Amino acid sequence: MFWHFFMFELRLRMRSISTYVFFLIPFTMMFFAVSVEDFGPIPPGKILVNGPFALFQCYLDLTAFGAILIAAIFGPAILRDFHQDTYQLLFTKPISKFAYLGGRWAGSFVTAVFVFSGLVFGGIVGTFMPWADRSRLAPVHLLWSLQPFLSVTVIQIFFLGALFFCVAALTRRLVVVYLQGVALFAVYLILLAVVVATNRLDRFWPSIFDPLGIVLRDNITRYWTVAEKNTQLVGWHGLFLYNRLTWIAVGVIALVLTCVLFPMSAEVLGARGSSRRALAARKIDEAEKASRPRFAPGARQVERSFSGWSLIEQIASMTKMRFFNITREVVFWAICLCMIALVMVNGRFAGDANGATVWPVTYLTLSVVSGSSGLFLFIIAALYAGELIWRERDVRFEQIHDSLPLRDWSDWLSKFFALSAVEVVLVSIVAVCGVASQAFNGYFRFELTQYAKELYLVYLPQLIMVVFLALFVHTLVSNKFVGHAIIIGFFILIPVLYRYGVENRLVLYGEITPYTYSDMNGYGHFVKALFWISSYWLFVGAFLSVLAIVLARRGADLSWGNRMRLARPRFAQLIPAALLFLAAAGTCGAWFYHNTHVVNVFRTAKETRHRQAEYEKLYKKYERAPRPKVTAVDVSVDIYPERRSFEGSGYFTLVNKSGTPIEEVYITDGQESVDGIRFDRLAQITMRDSKHFYTTYKLAQPLAPGETMRMDFRVSKEQRGFKDGNERPELAYNGTFFDRDYFPFVGYNTNLELDNPARRREEGLGPLEELAPRGDPYYSNVNLFSPDADWISFHALVSTSADQVAIAPGYLKREWTEGGRHHFEYDMGDTKIANFYSFLSARYAVKRDRWKNVKLEIYYHPGHEFNLDKMMEASKNGLDYYEKNFSPFQFDQFRVLEFPRYRGFAQSFPNTVPYSESIGFIERMKKPDDIDLLYFVTAHELAHQWWGHQLIGSQTQGSNMMSESLAEYSALKIMEHRYGQEMLRKDLRYELDRYLRGRGGEVRHEPPLVLVQREPYVWYSKGSLVMFALADYIGEDKVNEALRNFLMKNRYASGPYPDTRGFVAALREVTPPEYQHAITDMFESIVLFDNRAVSASYVETPDHKYKVTLAVKGQKRQADGSGNESPMAIDDYIDIGVFSGPSKDHMKPLYLQKHHITQEDTTLEEIVDEKPTYAGIDPYFKLIDRNPEDNVIEVEKKK
Amino acid sequence: MLTIQNLSKTYPGGVRALRGVSLEIPPGMFGLLGPNGAGKSTLMKILATLLEPDTGSAKLGDLDLVANKDETRRLLGYLPQEFGVYPKMSAAQLLNHLAVMKGIDNAGERKEIVEGLLQQTNLWDVRKKALGGFSGGMKQRFGIAQALLANPKLIIVDEPTAGLDPAERNRFLNLLSSIGRNVVVILSTHIVDDVRELCSRMAMISNGELLLEGAPGQAIDAMKGRIWTKVVETDAERNAIEKSFSIVSTHLIGGQHEVRIYSDSTPGDGFHGTDADLEDVYFLNLSRHQAAAAKPH
Repeated sequence: MFWHFFMFELRLRMRSISTYVFFLIPFTMMFFAVSVEDFGPIPPGKILVNGPFALFQCYLDLTAFGAILIAAIFGPAILRDFHQDTYQLLFTKPISKFAYLGGRWAGSFVTAVFVFSGLVFGGIVGTFMPWADRSRLAPVHLLWSLQPFLSVTVIQIFFLGALFFCVAALTRRLVVVYLQGVALFAVYLILLAVVVATNRLDRFWPSIFDPLGIVLRDNITRYWTVAEKNTQLVGWHGLFLYNRLTWIAVGVIALVLTCVLFPMSAEVLGARGSSRRALAARKIDEAEKASRPRFAPGARQVERSFSGWSLIEQIASMTKMRFFNITREVVFWAICLCMIALVMVNGRFAGDANGATVWPVTYLTLSVVSGSSGLFLFIIAALYAGELIWRERDVRFEQIHDSLPLRDWSDWLSKFFALSAVEVVLVSIVAVCGVASQAFNGYFRFELTQYAKELYLVYLPQLIMVVFLALFVHTLVSNKFVGHAIIIGFFILIPVLYRYGVENRLVLYGEITPYTYSDMNGYGHFVKALFWISSYWLFVGAFLSVLAIVLARRGADLSWGNRMRLARPRFAQLIPAALLFLAAAGTCGAWFYHNTHVVNVFRTAKETRHRQAEYEKLYKKYERAPRPKVTAVDVSVDIYPERRSFEGSGYFTLVNKSGTPIEEVYITDGQESVDGIRFDRLAQITMRDSKHFYTTYKLAQPLAPGETMRMDFRVSKEQRGFKDGNERPELAYNGTFFDRDYFPFVGYNTNLELDNPARRREEGLGPLEELAPRGDPYYSNVNLFSPDADWISFHALVSTSADQVAIAPGYLKREWTEGGRHHFEYDMGDTKIANFYSFLSARYAVKRDRWKNVKLEIYYHPGHEFNLDKMMEASKNGLDYYEKNFSPFQFDQFRVLEFPRYRGFAQSFPNTVPYSESIGFIERMKKPDDIDLLYFVTAHELAHQWWGHQLIGSQTQGSNMMSESLAEYSALKIMEHRYGQEMLRKDLRYELDRYLRGRGGEVRHEPPLVLVQREPYVWYSKGSLVMFALADYIGEDKVNEALRNFLMKNRYASGPYPDTRGFVAALREVTPPEYQHAITDMFESIVLFDNRAVSASYVETPDHKYKVTLAVKGQKRQADGSGNESPMAIDDYIDIGVFSGPSKDHMKPLYLQKHHITQEDTTLEEIVDEKPTYAGIDPYFKLIDRNPEDNVIEVEKKK
Repeated sequence: MLTIQNLSKTYPGGVRALRGVSLEIPPGMFGLLGPNGAGKSTLMKILATLLEPDTGSAKLGDLDLVANKDETRRLLGYLPQEFGVYPKMSAAQLLNHLAVMKGIDNAGERKEIVEGLLQQTNLWDVRKKALGGFSGGMKQRFGIAQALLANPKLIIVDEPTAGLDPAERNRFLNLLSSIGRNVVVILSTHIVDDVRELCSRMAMISNGELLLEGAPGQAIDAMKGRIWTKVVETDAERNAIEKSFSIVSTHLIGGQHEVRIYSDSTPGDGFHGTDADLEDVYFLNLSRHQAAAAKPH
């Protein structure tokens, strides 16, 4: 019997076309994920796209999103009998519950497994595609496909299928099955948002209860190195095992419940479904019978009209009816509720950006609420477009409807208006949610006009474009589900096309140019592009709707022949409208094209990369050619913020320090901003390659060694019209910020080289050249930051519009207004600076203060006053600490300047720190133990005035750590002094996380710290960790002594520049012998620990103390650049601690001492005064530990 | 006067639903009789602007129904054979909406008309109930209410009594009969009694062809004295009769078979004469037509 039902179900499925369509979905996704660059979730790098990790991640993600397929397979298995009323036939026969339910379920299960086997086949077929990137593909390895398929996908199908089946069997309503799906998904997203937003590193429980596995995957594989990701499967142990067992159990429970609770009788089943309906009908019937028969009044003449106001009234009535058709649906409100829930929860975390807490300013809140509502609004547009188009046919009212005296277009318009009205209502709900979540977050500066602009002028038009498209597709396609598939496919296709170089948004339906709102600059220069592209797409949408009206179904004959016949007269009627929309779209499109492709040069990302690659191929040979060095910069820059332009002129003083006469000067003009160059002697342009921004000047009289030459130049950037994305963030109406990149660069610029290996392969370039080894004779004399200069003197005249302030490095000598413009003169005087300068202009408010003789200034956007005092405090504390411990501050001023959030960093120029509006100015510390990122970043940038502006390394391996790691260390130290150890430990715990994750995503190879090249996770995160570990071993004062010695020895060095050999030597000098090998481990190698507390127990001693017995494991491994590890003997001093306190986050040390650990297993006994709760090894994660969570365990009372 | 000339329609599958049907339909109730699949609905759909005929024309006075659909729809009241409703709307709401669609733009007038129709169709007490809960008969009456909206000049009701219980059917026919005399009302049905009770004129179609047109009374008169009945006991007896006479119909009466035959002269042998009725006309025409169709052409 079971077998019969099973085979019946299976045969039915295998005959159904939908099964094969479903199969194609995972197949195609996987096929592309493996064969096409950038399609899948694996970033370009060294991780194999068909390796075990990549397959695991793809299967997991696709199965998670494939939950809808699982619902679509399991739901109907049982609902079918109720929809087709076959249950009455079935359940009057003697069949067992198990056979019926089990057969149906098992048949669906096998079908689902078949459907999802598309993952495996798609991946394998994709491997063999000729266009796939061979270097990222391994030979097909069946186990890598089958193990994750079994342990992720099949188990997922099992328990999700059981759940869906259970709900379908017990409610027997398709709507509920869908609702359940939507609700589960929304709840999942909400919990995910909570987990992500709380940003806790310990995600044990979320991992176990994560049904779809997104948190689980991250938790298990976050620290896997490339080598591990390419060889290692996620095995059946630990978290993964617990998670899978949990959900298998859930699945089994659901199945048992189904079997127990399903009423196997036609009577019960029938009664329940129809009783309500029957009751309602009976009531109505009775009411009717009671009424008296009435006699017809004679027919009377009625006024009728079909034009003018009546027409409007008709459309309005139709619109209203359709609007309520949608909004009276339970499903609609269920989707809305899910949307509101998700929007509110995400809105709650609008201020938790990147681990730090900021005020939920309107642009952040808006981006969160519109972002989290987007999917729902999109679903509603697509779903209800289908419902509306098919509404009459679905309820079988079409014959009456189609014979009404309606114009062909008024019916269609009413559908469009109704759906648009629904979207307007929903967008308004989103707006209310946004304001509410700001209020809940304690932020009451509601910028309602910004809400209106963003939601109704930018967001809503995009939804309307989707409405247009969806109505069009559903009008054309004769099957609702095919229509939905086409629409979804369409929106998947767009990003794919974009990745393939179709970046012209005029051909990507509904795409608008990317834009960023900034408090400083508003919508600024994006307004025009947004207006024209939005108008363009709306008109295109309107044109599509004319076509849709022409082809709309009416009448009983839906054959294409008949539709075309009906279309002819309609089209004749609508030609004016079609032409109007086409002309309007054409005009907007032409204007957009003119601006983005004619006035401005349009380059796809690939073209830009190609130019970079060509530059490298053509001119890398000049990298070491002798070049004169800049010793003085004197410029005059006029900024025209209202035109987003500047013009500048000036001169460099160049000196030949090379020892050989220089005949040719090479100029790189990376920003294409150089208008002219003149030398103080005759020079001839022997080669000008404007396509690759490279020019060669041959000097009539070579520049002799030691000789000085003046080079005059003119530069400008005029931003005309608008662009299709890639707007220069440097130029803004309020908040201009550009740097020396816009000035001529003398020589070949290695910074322009492509660094991503996949991109380099694409361009036929070999691997990126490594930085020169330390001591390289050529590069030891090259400045790390500006190879075309050593130290320069600097003078600048800057002007801007009358209402703005313009700033460049240097002391303000003069400030005046002339010709309606605001002029400034800045001079660095005798103080030499790095060849690294910036120009800023904005409508600033200024906060001033003083530290000793140093002027402190913060130039900020009015309204961003939240944290100015703390910024000042950080500057003062930094100046105190750095002067005391390192060396005197070389300037008389220190300025922080806010710039628009088009870029999100802070950067240290000489005595000048441009600081993005997004990363500190709006910071908010909610809890006293929140990490104070603003304080930290300010201190970090100030520290660069020492590490980067006094000490500059040579352009060789490792030098970057001498600026970044040391600035990091300095800033963390003052943060420790300001906020205490607690916050510091918390911060370092995140640094450890970032470091371990960073190495997992390495695209080349991980270097040891003192050989770091281009790896921020090494120079920031590992740098902080090991500097702190060292300070912990040998003391802060010793480390500072070493830093001071090293700095004083190399301050303002200009060839040879210092490198990390000297730095390590300085450290070793102050380090006692027992820690010398720690320097080798931490700075010169990649060493990882896996320390673990194995067991801990205590007994109370007679004198009321507590004897704790603690067993720990200490493991140490050395890794190579790819992450292959080999064991190392442990011989280290490691903290052992015993704590009291309620939780791991709030532990009070009762005992904390370094122990010399020399073997893997160690058991220790300590006596403490209070009752201990926790104990462990390296409890504060001072060492680099791959599993920090298991370092501390609870102490149990010994029995 | 509705003039139908030579209407033909062949469906994409090759089914010839109408084969050159020509009809003159005067104002008043006109019955269209025919078995299922005869082409009645096709004809109705063409008249209701939902289908395009392959050839032929249909004119209401000067108005070409095929070419001028917009105009036609303004005069039309149509009750399809099968229809559904928006389940969550109430009868009053939907009727009001349809009244707007039919161009009754004066709100007061509209209200009056809608309420009048709801009372006429006996839906007044349930007017605020969701249509989804209506029984078949109520839904059918709602259908007629909407077909009567705004004084249509051409009313097409397609199989309106199918599936109604006798009481419902009665009420329904009463309602239909109250429609003004200067309106063309076409009632298609396969129930002979519907036509007999309501229609002054009728046509029979089968297999897409017109079999008969005229007043029901005339058709019956033409058979006067030619219908004979006999109660038969066995199949053999029945077969014997079938060989020598053309059987019009066989009815079960009290468990016994009563055979009605058509015969110009007295068949004798236990037959006795009876009054012809419309059903005899119907069956006789059908069987003659089928016999003709079965002959090789």
